[in-house]
Amino acid sequence: MLVQLFRFLLRRLAVSLPLVVAVVFVTFMLVRIGGGDPVALLAGPTASSEEHAAIRAGLGLDKSPIEQFGIYVVRAARGDLGQSWLSTKQVIDEIRNRAFVSLELLLWGVAIGAMVGIPAGARAAARRGSLYDQVVRAVSLAGFSIPTYWLGLIAILTFFYALDLAPAPMGRLNPTLITPDRITGSYLIDAVLRGQWEVARSALSHLVLPVLTVAVVACAPIMKHTRAIASEIVDSEFIRFARASGLGERCIRRMVLRNSMVPVLTFMGIEIVGLLGTSSLIELIFSWGGIGQWGLQSILNGDFAAIQGYVLFAALLSVVVFIVIDAANYVLEPRGRERM
Amino acid sequence: MSRLFLLRKVCTVGALFLALAAAVVPASAATLVVAATKTPGGFDGDALKPNTQNVVVQVYEGLTKYGYKKNAKTGRMEVDPTKVLPHLATKWSVSPDGKVYTVELRKGVKSPFGNEFTSVDVVWGWEKSLAQKRTGAFIARVAGVVKVEVMDQYTVEFTLEAPSSIFLTALTLYTPSLYDSTEVKKHATPADPWALKWIDQNTAGFGAYHLQSLKSGEEAVFVANPNYWGVKPFYDRVVYKEVPNAGTRFTLIRTGQVQWTEELTLKQISELKKDKRVKVESDQGTGFASVRMNPTIKPFDNPLLRQAISYATDYKALNQAVFENLGSQARSIVSPIIPGADTSAWKYDTNLDKARQLLKQAGYVDGVDVTLEYSSIFWFEEQVAIQMKDQLGKAGIRVKLQKITDADMRSRTAPNKRDLPFFTFMDNPIVLDPVYALYLNAHSGGASNRNNYTNPEFDKLVNAARIEQNQKKRLELLRKAQQIHTTDATWVMTMYTGAHEAMTPCMTGYVWQPDYHERWRELSCK
Amino acid sequence: MLVRAAPWINVLRDFPSIAIGLAIVLGYAALALLAPWIAPMDPIRVHADAVLAPPSARFLLGTDGNGMDLFSRIIYGSRYAFGIAVPAVLLSIVIGLPVGLWAGYRGGWVDEILLRSMDLLRVFPSIILALTIVAATGQSIINVILVIGLLDAPIFARMVRAEILALRGGILIESARAIGNGTGRMLFVHVLPNSISGALTQISVRMAWAIRVSATLAFVGIGIQQPTPEWGAMIRQGAEYMVTGEWWVALFPGLALVTLVFGLNLLADGIQDWMGRRRTQR
Repeated sequence: MLVQLFRFLLRRLAVSLPLVVAVVFVTFMLVRIGGGDPVALLAGPTASSEEHAAIRAGLGLDKSPIEQFGIYVVRAARGDLGQSWLSTKQVIDEIRNRAFVSLELLLWGVAIGAMVGIPAGARAAARRGSLYDQVVRAVSLAGFSIPTYWLGLIAILTFFYALDLAPAPMGRLNPTLITPDRITGSYLIDAVLRGQWEVARSALSHLVLPVLTVAVVACAPIMKHTRAIASEIVDSEFIRFARASGLGERCIRRMVLRNSMVPVLTFMGIEIVGLLGTSSLIELIFSWGGIGQWGLQSILNGDFAAIQGYVLFAALLSVVVFIVIDAANYVLEPRGRERM
Repeated sequence: MSRLFLLRKVCTVGALFLALAAAVVPASAATLVVAATKTPGGFDGDALKPNTQNVVVQVYEGLTKYGYKKNAKTGRMEVDPTKVLPHLATKWSVSPDGKVYTVELRKGVKSPFGNEFTSVDVVWGWEKSLAQKRTGAFIARVAGVVKVEVMDQYTVEFTLEAPSSIFLTALTLYTPSLYDSTEVKKHATPADPWALKWIDQNTAGFGAYHLQSLKSGEEAVFVANPNYWGVKPFYDRVVYKEVPNAGTRFTLIRTGQVQWTEELTLKQISELKKDKRVKVESDQGTGFASVRMNPTIKPFDNPLLRQAISYATDYKALNQAVFENLGSQARSIVSPIIPGADTSAWKYDTNLDKARQLLKQAGYVDGVDVTLEYSSIFWFEEQVAIQMKDQLGKAGIRVKLQKITDADMRSRTAPNKRDLPFFTFMDNPIVLDPVYALYLNAHSGGASNRNNYTNPEFDKLVNAARIEQNQKKRLELLRKAQQIHTTDATWVMTMYTGAHEAMTPCMTGYVWQPDYHERWRELSCK
Repeated sequence: MLVRAAPWINVLRDFPSIAIGLAIVLGYAALALLAPWIAPMDPIRVHADAVLAPPSARFLLGTDGNGMDLFSRIIYGSRYAFGIAVPAVLLSIVIGLPVGLWAGYRGGWVDEILLRSMDLLRVFPSIILALTIVAATGQSIINVILVIGLLDAPIFARMVRAEILALRGGILIESARAIGNGTGRMLFVHVLPNSISGALTQISVRMAWAIRVSATLAFVGIGIQQPTPEWGAMIRQGAEYMVTGEWWVALFPGLALVTLVFGLNLLADGIQDWMGRRRTQR
């Protein structure tokens, strides 16, 4: 089976990579059409037109867009994603430093959202029509309707400004503390691993608000879709037949769970990918310093290489998530294998 | 797994989070935390990126510095533009024709790398700036410097093309910077002989602070130079944190989480003035909010239209709506705190009838359509633009607002472009000298002449004033130049926003500097 | 066939979510249409003497940082909400339907491209894509509409395609063909009506999405900006003033946004339930 799994994954990868290239291509062309002119900024106010031309050539902007894309792809394969002209750092370094920061926020948020959302949705599906069900539906609808950034602002207003419970929305750590030496990139985990309890506490307290905001936003669709999926299965002929045959409720519940796993996992994959965008907004509000904030600011600044790097990262991450989910489904759901 | 059980688990975890969150570590006494808009984009004073200037002045100090005087009225210390004192130079002498300055350097000045400051460093720094042909080169050009030579280990000779009244004040600036050339040269390569790449991301100066680490987008940490020649600063560590949201910066200073904050709106400043938890210090400053027209682009090539716009602007309403009634009217491109400022030609008190009349005279009987472009570089831009649209509309000038990115605003106002017809901006000349101010912002060769103003008569007057030794004659030339500029009305001069700084209440030692940046080495908290 | 008096009243009674959702959406639509008559003041009129004024009798919801009346701006904001959502969704239907029909019916490379573009959108968090595109192509309302319309088109296309594929294997088309119905007739008479149930729900959901996306774009600083009375742009300005105590500037536009989006989602939910019941009753 492992060989088959491997072959399946390879097939999926082969299908997905052209999509990633397509996404990056589209972005590449777009920023070149509309993007700002970095040359004037890099050259400074006192430069002459020869200097401008030199800088333009140095950045490779004097070639045709197709040519530039070709060069970009070749370099990217080697790991060179270009240079952010705003910070003059290598894009690959910026991504490397920030990726885990965003993932930490995203994963914690999704985990808590799922921990609350999945059981709630499943319960609602079992008790359809009841008050509990109505409440769950209303809550998830409300969660769908609230803009993330607005929720974040209100959270800051309430817990930081009014109640003085949460620390300032200014990054991941209290500014007077020294950041722990990097093991994973997560301040919390690194501090715990090194026994720096003060730092760990500060990191934890800074995680609370942004993670809870992400969790609330993630929870709504998870609740709704779990309920929908579970309902469909509970209603399905297969379960009805099982019940009619006299199987106990606990057994039924287990069957429902097993059958829901695949669609729920698939849906979680879509959720996580969608949350990449939303968590970027939260990073912006909380000055989180992750890849989302960096990406958004690069878009606002028209920083070509950085935007492309950000888009590439998001696309690759999405592909990875989907492949992982597909692999999990493949293992868990033998019936689906022929279809795949 | 029961839902209730799960809910309880989540609630406990949540409560645990919040409880831990309540523990906040108080700031260490020797660390200054600054809430800034962005982490510095670079540390090369010649390659200015966002917030580069804010930190470069802390690391690279000048050969001279301004003296301070006490303001009799307010009792506060101020910069005295007429007094230039020794700093990294100890004394200087000038040749009889005014063209050669011999400058003696301070001995025993060491960088964090342990190297001593010598004339080699001075020459290296100036030559680097001249090679880059950017801000430092511009300063050199305005001051008239053509040659910088090593005389002996602690003596440097500057040769000027003509006697200059700005030269000594130009030496107070952070650029051309004084680098520890011994250290910097280690990072030079054949392709990068001036080690520009290294200089952009590292520091090697003789000033009070030194860059320890930079996490772009999060914070930059500076430590005190252990070998600093001057008085040991109170703060031995400065954390320069990126907090992009003004509201957050406001809250941080209010709740004491930071000791200094940058770029607050006037609304927030006036709130903080009433708050005992924060100390606000205000000075006039040299920068005023201006709306500029490019006289080489239609329809702004018509002086009558330009004057009509100035007459149509409701300055009182602007002050009330945008500047909290804290602003003071600007009447010349040169700030009143600079000796030599002349406001006699400004007669644009709000007069809608006059505006309409001028508009008709200009040939726009049915009014005119213009586009005003603004960005978010300065906090007031959008608000001023919206107010102007409303005000000018009353005179028949129909304004369409167009927001552009900060990057666009900067690049399109750079010398090689300058294609914005009508836009908001603010400049503050960092040398408190009228010739510098006029040259920078309105001379055809000025680096910040963003609206491409070219008046040969004006240029002639400024060029003459640059080299004029006689003070009376000089002031007369400058007066005429300002009158021409004000009458040409390419700038709508609104309010001096003032220089307001918000800091922790125990902070002392802050003195406003022409570059609007506090000097960390002067700050202390009792 | 039984004739029932006003069957839709029964629907509203049985499905309160449809009733409430519809009420909200129609209410906002009314605000949008009747804005010039309902709004007390010109939404971009500046009141220099009343900048950041709290809610009062004169300014029901207060004024914003430029001295403009928030109540009037929120009412006009519904114009922008619908003005973007409706054309955007229409655009995605106009593009998506024919593509989906073709793809489902003929297959071939159109089908391939459709599937690939669906995959592309799944591969990517759409908000980032929208941000990048609008930032690059210029910040105008038209661009926002175009981008949202294009990004949503595959969803409608896929819906129609699925419907066709489902029918293709079924008896319905075989018998219709046997009777002698041509392709066009089959498409219009059989495929489209069956797609409508799913489409109605999607329209509501996509409208909610369009309103959210355009507000998000405005909030980040791309897309519609001041002084245009768009809710996202208002929240952007209000974010500044949250902490100086002028809470109304961000709160009310946010509430307006949340309510309308909630209404649309509620309506979509209700329709889905209704269609579900209809399906099981057939």
